[in-house]
Amino acid sequence: MALLDGRALTKTYRLGKVDVHALRGVNVAVERGEYVAITGPSGSGKSTLMHILGCLDTPSGGAYVIDGEDVSRLSGKRLAQVRNRKVGFVFQTFNLMPRLSIEENVALPLKYRGGLSRHERRARARAVLDRLGLSDRLVHRPDELSGGQRQRVAIARALVGEPAILMADEPTGNLDSRAGATVLETFDELHRAGHTIVLVTHDPNVAARASRTIAIADGVAV
Amino acid sequence: MNLLESLLTGLDEARRHWGQTLLSLLGLVLGTASIVTVLALFGGQAALTQQFLDEVGGRGVYWVQNREQPVSPTARELRSKRLVYDDAAWLERRATTLRHVVPGWSHELDYRVGERSFEGEVVGTVPGYAAVNDIRPLVGRYLSDLDVERKARVAVLGWAYADSLFGGARRALGRSVQLGGRAYTVVGVLVREEFYFAPWSGNALEYRNRRAYVPITTAIAQHGLGEQLDFLTVKLDTAVPAHRAQAQVRSLLWARHGVEDFDVDPAQGGENEGAFLQLFNYIFLVVGVVSMFTGGIVIANILLASVVERVREFGTRMALGATGGSVFTQVLAEVLVVTVAGGLAGLALGWALTGVVAMVMKIPAVVSPLIAAVSLATALLVGVVAGLFPAIRAARLSPVEALRYG
Repeated sequence: MALLDGRALTKTYRLGKVDVHALRGVNVAVERGEYVAITGPSGSGKSTLMHILGCLDTPSGGAYVIDGEDVSRLSGKRLAQVRNRKVGFVFQTFNLMPRLSIEENVALPLKYRGGLSRHERRARARAVLDRLGLSDRLVHRPDELSGGQRQRVAIARALVGEPAILMADEPTGNLDSRAGATVLETFDELHRAGHTIVLVTHDPNVAARASRTIAIADGVAV
Repeated sequence: MNLLESLLTGLDEARRHWGQTLLSLLGLVLGTASIVTVLALFGGQAALTQQFLDEVGGRGVYWVQNREQPVSPTARELRSKRLVYDDAAWLERRATTLRHVVPGWSHELDYRVGERSFEGEVVGTVPGYAAVNDIRPLVGRYLSDLDVERKARVAVLGWAYADSLFGGARRALGRSVQLGGRAYTVVGVLVREEFYFAPWSGNALEYRNRRAYVPITTAIAQHGLGEQLDFLTVKLDTAVPAHRAQAQVRSLLWARHGVEDFDVDPAQGGENEGAFLQLFNYIFLVVGVVSMFTGGIVIANILLASVVERVREFGTRMALGATGGSVFTQVLAEVLVVTVAGGLAGLALGWALTGVVAMVMKIPAVVSPLIAAVSLATALLVGVVAGLFPAIRAARLSPVEALRYG
């Protein structure tokens, strides 16, 4: 069975008096260990799909199973737990907590998980940062780092909880090409190490790094 | 994440963006400080009023005065003799709830000593008046029962008149003064009375220094028209509830007059001063309430702004696994820290401000523990109520909504 399995996913927003159909029945399946890029022009629904796959949002219709758990009807607290345990999210704008140190930022998901001592959380955060070559930045604040470094800290934060899947929404969108390249190399390495990655991008060069591409247009997979 | 950790995160956040925290603090500090100051000044004024009433013997003292006769009086009203001297004796005999009954007669008469003359108040009354109104002779004596019985032509002068007519209290003693064309012997001069609500205001008790007291029987015989009284002053027995005593006075007099053509009211020191003071108190109260509201709105506004500014951060936290509940606790914890710190700082500032205002304006004002508790509680209440809305709002956002915010 696929790690991510979405069937006939639909999403309808209400904008004033008009219904906007962001997704009109998308089937998507991602196997364990795959590196998948979701592409499409802006407004195609790729970000909506990403939010649903990342459990940030629930579909209006259809079924979605992640790592054997049907999450399409979950809400609130349960969904927060699924996000915390199964999904690691990387944002275009990094979304690091500006007032927390790098180490504290990376340890944050473990704090929401609970059951781990402060010492243990710090140890795990350091281990991930070490793996990404950022162990000399533990006590710095995000604004003391370059864009590429910040995004790699964000990747470390996404990885620290050992999620089933790593999701990234335009991870190189706010970076220059060199910094973007280092981030993409990081994804490559993670893929080689066995991580499952789903990445949203409109950049064909980024999509080319993935092992498979799902193209979305007008709310359907093409 | 458990409750304690959410709280700690909240505290940590409040500490880390101290600039914003400081801004919310400022609103709270100023709001609380103004509440403290206003309450302290208000309390000072209230204490002063109490002191004034004690000074003039105002507590438990009621005035009975003729009610103004209607334009077309009824037969009963026409038949009533109104307040007369005998009413006092009647009340004294029948009323079980009164300690003193003092009849009073008051008119403006000519004062004359040699060439010096002016018009001033003359009060005809009985010895009990001194006890009820808490007045004491400086030299000589007050009126005696014998004076009243014999309709003696004796007068007790207020300090200011003794001074202006004779050039001092001691010189006045034993001398003769013409009141309304009749000669009276000065048998006593009263202690000079003073009370200042503020250093810039006049002596609120000066009217007491500008008076002469004569036996009521003499006043009625020499200057009166019949036995008409101008007022009756009664002092209640402290063991009896005021409303019961008041009711008894009313029913006894009603029985005698056949109609309720009089009013029974609590005594207010000097009438003008009383009204002035009441106005002053209302103004203070209004200012206090307004400043509480203003402080509250300022706090709510700043808290709401700081939450709105951070909605995307909450979205990120939710994406990492924070539940609505933990975001709620975090926001509320931040609010609580800010509120408690701001409340305490405001209390300190208000205390200092009160001291300065009291010193500069030379008026009494004290920050009592009650005032401290009330203002701190207000700050907390306002903070929690104001913080609750942003917290609920933050907690109810879906992660996607929060991430897209702004």
